[in-house]
Amino acid sequence: MNNTKAQSNLFFTVIWLVLAVLTIMTFSLGEAGVAGKGVMLTLLAITMIKSQLVANYFMGLRRTKFLWRAIMFGYFAIVGGLITVAYLMGLK
Amino acid sequence: MNEHSNTINQEDLPGDFAIWIFIFAEMLAFGVLFVAYAFTRAQNIELFNASQLTLSRTSGAINTLVLITSSYFVVRGVESIKRGLNQQCAHWLTGAFLLGGVFVGIKMVEFQAKFAADITMSTNNFYMFYLSLTFFHFMHVLMGMVILAVIIMKAKHGGYSAHDYVGVETGASFWHMVDFLWIILFPLVYIIR
Repeated sequence: MNNTKAQSNLFFTVIWLVLAVLTIMTFSLGEAGVAGKGVMLTLLAITMIKSQLVANYFMGLRRTKFLWRAIMFGYFAIVGGLITVAYLMGLK
Repeated sequence: MNEHSNTINQEDLPGDFAIWIFIFAEMLAFGVLFVAYAFTRAQNIELFNASQLTLSRTSGAINTLVLITSSYFVVRGVESIKRGLNQQCAHWLTGAFLLGGVFVGIKMVEFQAKFAADITMSTNNFYMFYLSLTFFHFMHVLMGMVILAVIIMKAKHGGYSAHDYVGVETGASFWHMVDFLWIILFPLVYIIR
């Protein structure tokens, strides 16, 4: 029981650390002042990973029906996809 | 309502289903604003890039770390109440509440700096989106803090149990939504150029 509790807490701590590292990576790319298609896609990929980590593990959707996870992923796919289209339009 | 009816079905969404209707509606509203920002930017790239440089990326990044950490505290609070530990749950949620206060403080400093520079929503399209998106989100943080405060008070009085914690999960879901939306808002408005 205590082992399960400790493992669960360790797991959430690892998720938090991954989110923090990804945030620092995003900030570092911003500070480097780099731009362009590759950087934009990298930043969106990092954002997608972070949003899905929060949805699946912090919100707890990984334990729910596929429908709810699909809605959260679909939300990011649609919003992120449209943001990508808009940014690619701007690069022309 | 008896304890059994408040017990979570693992297949269902955490917390009260009504909060999820609200969460999906809020996500839709923010999603429309995110996409509108991106397409408006595509028509005014130089203006958006120049205006974006006036934002404090450090403040934005610190606030991201603050919200992520507060969400982690909320997760620990939910895990505590699942074991029936009301006081421990209240302690974790109080930590999350205080971090919410840190976010609000940093954001107010940012807003103050913009207003002191005579920047308003009418200044240009970038600031119109920046101020409306961040203020809209700011109001959600405040609402989330009120919800957390109510849950903390109830937990301090032993109001939840290992079989009855729907209220904690409902508030937690709202707080995570606030974090989820900021995770998209931060790179979109502060970083991507």
